[in-house]
Amino acid sequence: MDTIEPIDMDMDDEPTEPRMNVDATEKLAPAKSVPTTPLPATVAPATVPLSRRKFMGKSIGGLAAIGGAGIAAAVGGVALEQWIQHRGSTNLFHGPLGSTTQIGHLLRRAGFGANPDELALYKNLGFNGAVDRLLNYQQVPDDTLENRLKALNINLNLALDQQRWWLLRMAWTQRPLLEKMTLFWHGVLTSSFRKVGGRRNYMRMIVQNQFLRNHAFDTFDNILRGITADPAMLFFLDLTTSRKNAPNENYARELMELFTLGLGHYTQRDVYEGAAALTGWHIRGLTSQYYPQDHNDLVKTYLGHTGNLDYKDVINILANHPATPWFISRKLFTFFAYENPSVDDLKPLVDTYVQSGHNMGEVMRTLLLSPQFSSAKAYRGRIKSPVEFTVGAYRALNINGDGAGLPDITTLMGQTLFDPPNVAGWPGDKVSALWLNSGTWMTRLNYIDLLLARGTAARVGSTPLVDLQSIVNIHQLGSPDEFVDHFSSFLLDGELGGDRRTQLLDYFTTQVSGIRGIPITLPNGKSYPLGSVRGTLYLMMASPEYQLN
Amino acid sequence: MKLTRRAMIKDGLLVVSAGMVMPAIFSRGVASARAQALDGSRMAQTANDRTLIVVQMAGGNDGLNTVVPFTDPLYLKMRPIIGLSESKVLPLDTRLGLHPNLQALKQLWDTGHLAIVEGVGYPNQSLSHFQAMDIWQTLDLNGNGGEGWLGKLVAGLVDKDGHPFKAVDIGVQTAQALQSISTQVPTIANVQSYRLYPDPADVDGGNARLKALMRLYNSYPGTAPYAALLDTTALAAQDGSRQLHQADATYQPAVTYPKGPFADGLKVLAEAIVQGLGLRVGYVTLGGFDTHANQQATHDALMLTLASGLSAFYKDLAAHGKADKVVIMTWSEFGRRVEENGSLGTDHGTAAPLFVLGNPVNRGIYGEPPSLSNLDENGNLKYTIDFRSIYATVLDRWIGASSKDVLGGTFGAQNFLPQA
Repeated sequence: MDTIEPIDMDMDDEPTEPRMNVDATEKLAPAKSVPTTPLPATVAPATVPLSRRKFMGKSIGGLAAIGGAGIAAAVGGVALEQWIQHRGSTNLFHGPLGSTTQIGHLLRRAGFGANPDELALYKNLGFNGAVDRLLNYQQVPDDTLENRLKALNINLNLALDQQRWWLLRMAWTQRPLLEKMTLFWHGVLTSSFRKVGGRRNYMRMIVQNQFLRNHAFDTFDNILRGITADPAMLFFLDLTTSRKNAPNENYARELMELFTLGLGHYTQRDVYEGAAALTGWHIRGLTSQYYPQDHNDLVKTYLGHTGNLDYKDVINILANHPATPWFISRKLFTFFAYENPSVDDLKPLVDTYVQSGHNMGEVMRTLLLSPQFSSAKAYRGRIKSPVEFTVGAYRALNINGDGAGLPDITTLMGQTLFDPPNVAGWPGDKVSALWLNSGTWMTRLNYIDLLLARGTAARVGSTPLVDLQSIVNIHQLGSPDEFVDHFSSFLLDGELGGDRRTQLLDYFTTQVSGIRGIPITLPNGKSYPLGSVRGTLYLMMASPEYQLN
Repeated sequence: MKLTRRAMIKDGLLVVSAGMVMPAIFSRGVASARAQALDGSRMAQTANDRTLIVVQMAGGNDGLNTVVPFTDPLYLKMRPIIGLSESKVLPLDTRLGLHPNLQALKQLWDTGHLAIVEGVGYPNQSLSHFQAMDIWQTLDLNGNGGEGWLGKLVAGLVDKDGHPFKAVDIGVQTAQALQSISTQVPTIANVQSYRLYPDPADVDGGNARLKALMRLYNSYPGTAPYAALLDTTALAAQDGSRQLHQADATYQPAVTYPKGPFADGLKVLAEAIVQGLGLRVGYVTLGGFDTHANQQATHDALMLTLASGLSAFYKDLAAHGKADKVVIMTWSEFGRRVEENGSLGTDHGTAAPLFVLGNPVNRGIYGEPPSLSNLDENGNLKYTIDFRSIYATVLDRWIGASSKDVLGGTFGAQNFLPQA
């Protein structure tokens, strides 16, 4: 939606040297009483049932006919997000998920899907063991990833290469939840390379990314303190140019509206007073420094607290504000489980936040182990994001490329890492249906075609990135059935309803005339046209089910 | 209300057959179908070939530095550094001047094709980007989101020729203004990528695979997650891709468009209009207007991008004989604070002017200028014109749809377009 013209911001680079070069000595903030009363329960608005399409499926004169324009009838005033959510809320699956399905679901949500080996590894741990492994990531070595990345000699000063670097991290890591959590934080506490001080300072985005990774499961207080002092954020939301006598409101407002409280829990006065309290920060290259002499020392009243408040007080007040755990739990739950969670859905997360001293790792554990996370409502309850889709296919098919072209592909699908549409991050993180439209759908399918049939984006027509004959040989896929079931098991949890498996087998085995390419030979000696075999896999990854997470 | 449309797969691509659809009518959208049945109001006719282009300036454009009240002494007093003095602006009259980089829009003014509406906004602004964007796009003043006003319009437009492109959104995510509960608006990043690529190994050019794909979508159970969304998405894609590429093959822009995604997007919209794809509503977004700090360089560049893009678009349409059929309007979620801040920028504001341009437009300055001396408690302008009256004007006087139906109320009109 948002077309951002490239503007070279170099002229704005580092506009704020401190006025005096005095050692920063930070006074300890006076302790303040902090309210911990829970929020009054917010009532989830009622959704209006909508009838859906009458659709497709008849045959006219030998041609498939498509009756279209499924018309949903509804009373006026239905909030779109509820409506979209409703469309996603019906589900074929009832009751608890089967164990294989549950692990597949976990690895998609708390990671980026899995190849057959990973799936087997996590399945052997059981669901709780799998959650432990994901959360206790320090115990899982990831040297292979670091070595593979090192070998690519990626220039992290370049925007496209930064994206490529992170996409490959997500595709190759053995610590998938760590990367997924970093991606979550990037969508919330967000900045864009387009406004971090010009090309020479793009590395600030990597500094921010590493901060979010290093503190992904830290206390929310530490995360907020760190992101406030983060060089990219200082530039992105203008705190670095905020003057003690003329505070800039940008960071102060978004810190409350988008990072902690949400609209309705503060006034314009709080924005202004908060802005004054937050003054004093300056960027120093790839780090930052707090200068007390540049801090507004007047008495401020912020969210009911009065005093000579500074940034530490602001963070302290916000992390302990009763609206904060609800706000951040709603974000987490929406991103990892399903949209429009109820108060009951969120309450255990809120309680964990308070009881654990705001520890986000503990909140995540509560979320992943909740019955809601493994519910039928959560299963395939979100549209895959562009990053989930792109990385997921790369990961599942063990692609050993250099990631060239991947950033452009995710961009065409609607998501450019390190460049959210605005300070609110990606709307699709909140309402996943927004990821899908005619243009992005075709880009998804073309990406699958690229992997299976064309080679990298940069070299269209070159060798495909997936060697199907090798896969057939390694896994001894002896028949069309075994082929379909093999890929279905880790791409679709083996969950293909109705005659849809039969449709795939039909496609695999239907005789075509005029054959191009080297046929694929199954272990039984029987050969099938290249297009039929990889077309079957394409259909699986182009299917409705594969668009869902 | 029931809509049916039949289509066939031919040559592996979907062809929508003409004559199998309802007569061209406009209803106020499916959401209010029941209410409509109750009050029995007449459906408005919309049998015309007029197009509305909506340009979103995302981030909150600084209206005071776009249409500058250069003779108001308070203006430069409150903006001593970033204010634009009389010697810099392009004067429109004795009171207002355009930003110096809006030269191309000034030319449209000189030839009589530019209107400006001053003081546009709504009451009780929260100064939140996102609530403001919601309100402008859904008209829900509580900011709770919902169907977009253009989505509601488009959902009710039925094209007797079955054009899939009655509306087009340029970009990778459909704007909220175009969200509808029953219609998917084609969302196009660029013409090149708006197609499905076949497998080079398929001798039939991908027909069999595409047919199998549509079968998979057809047989996806209606009660399964996101079934309706997946269906309409696949359908919108299938409908449009071939027509767009056919149009693209024979389209020659009459002007050289400036570089960049904004002008690229306008070029796609011009192509849809010139090639007769049935475009009624086009939408394109230019972002980056949230100028809290060191705003001059950024704002200067954005003004140039806006004006040069719109000017090229207008000239292209004019050269193809389509300029009488297109009206363009701009909007931004809010203007900016009157007083400059300490970072050579401006914080979030409220009311702002917007542009309406095109041959059908009555040149002039409309609305009422908000006073710089009578600000609200946050130092922001008090709005004088309800943004919904702008929408009502383009709906009633240009598109020929009932604004009362689309907007759910009566909001008056501005005279930048002649009475229908």
